[in-house]
Amino acid sequence: MSMRRGVGLAAFDNHERTAQQYSDLGSTILQTHISELTDQLLTFQAALKRFAQSHADEIRSDPVFRSEFVKMCSAIGVDPLASSSANKKGSFWAELLGSDVNDFFFELAVRIIEICRRTRDENGGLMLVDDVKARINSVKGRPPVSQEDIVRAVNTLAPLGHGFGIVRLAHKDFIRSVPQELSRDQAVAIEATQALGYISVEILRDNLGWETARCIAVLDDLVASGLVWVDEQVRPKEYWTPSWIR
Amino acid sequence: MSTSKSPTSTPSQSTSFPFPSIYSFPPFFTRQPNGQTWTSQLSLWNSLILAYCRYNRIWRIDLNTAIEWDLFNNRDINRSLKLETCREILDSMVKKGDAEWVPGSGSHAAKNASAIIYWRRPEEWANIIADWIDSTGQKNAILTLYEIAEGDLSLSQDFRGIDPTILRKALDVLIRRGQAQIMKSADGEEAGVKFFGNQ
Repeated sequence: MSMRRGVGLAAFDNHERTAQQYSDLGSTILQTHISELTDQLLTFQAALKRFAQSHADEIRSDPVFRSEFVKMCSAIGVDPLASSSANKKGSFWAELLGSDVNDFFFELAVRIIEICRRTRDENGGLMLVDDVKARINSVKGRPPVSQEDIVRAVNTLAPLGHGFGIVRLAHKDFIRSVPQELSRDQAVAIEATQALGYISVEILRDNLGWETARCIAVLDDLVASGLVWVDEQVRPKEYWTPSWIR
Repeated sequence: MSTSKSPTSTPSQSTSFPFPSIYSFPPFFTRQPNGQTWTSQLSLWNSLILAYCRYNRIWRIDLNTAIEWDLFNNRDINRSLKLETCREILDSMVKKGDAEWVPGSGSHAAKNASAIIYWRRPEEWANIIADWIDSTGQKNAILTLYEIAEGDLSLSQDFRGIDPTILRKALDVLIRRGQAQIMKSADGEEAGVKFFGNQ
């Protein structure tokens, strides 16, 4: 390959030829890499599949093992729960890993939806993950689920547009099961309920420095959304979070 | 605060009623302004009242006296259910078929509002009584209402001491099913009920 620099048009022609040769070489290298990677990937896929199948029982019954397994998958860029649209078996990884991981989270998601639906009138569609967990685990004869399991299951629901999501308030995880998201003031007010179980105009005013009108507005808001219960047998009125019902 | 009382009927349990956690939630005693919250509150009160009546074997609630019970007054948190709210709750229970206003005491009367509480529906009582007739070999026996509710053979039965109005409704069910018949004496007075047993 001639590297001699030419001048004028000759130089241009040379440069182009050189660039082309580099490009060709680059493509060749790339191709080799791709086929090497493909081989490695195929070997890896087979190993992952064997692993998932031989540990299916553990994945189903042990929350700690399950968590570690899912974390491992995430670390290597594999989402064991990814599914195309609503077809839970449409995921490449679901097929690879066996349907056990997908099934587990799918069934859990269904149970979560059912619990949220049943309690919606009571809590306005906002419920502590801890409370959902307690309800699920109170049913005997099934292996226990962990907080992480629930959060993961809810996150698989988010893209499906049911209005489900995880909301973190006052260092606790809540499941939101209605499409309306909390406004900033609502979120702050609900966080404030987690200290004593309730808030009032005075508590908001004294602790957050809000004007009375703003306090009244957010409390009315929370009542209208069914997110708090009001206690009128005390002055000032107290607005309680249903998450305090133990 | 007024001391809350137990109902006057003798409780059959030696320990007091185990109240659920909602009973300790102060807002539970305030009629919730939000419609959906109220719906769930109604449902919780409905269950609580039925469970309390079942546990204490209470057959009727007389609004004006029952409003003093510990059921509607939690002394520990100093909260009481208002009479009007209690009436609203009973109205809803009546609509659901879990209670019935005693005729003449209707929900719009200011005084003497009394409701029969069906912690078992008349159909359930009918089944229990029919089974009892069979298992005690009383097929073809003629029993008075008093004998059914207070006789020796019903000592350990759930319907022991059953309110006569409820018993009558249960018997009506059995009569409709052809499992019982009213027997009249010579002067046309009702003498008792004859049971044909389960068919």
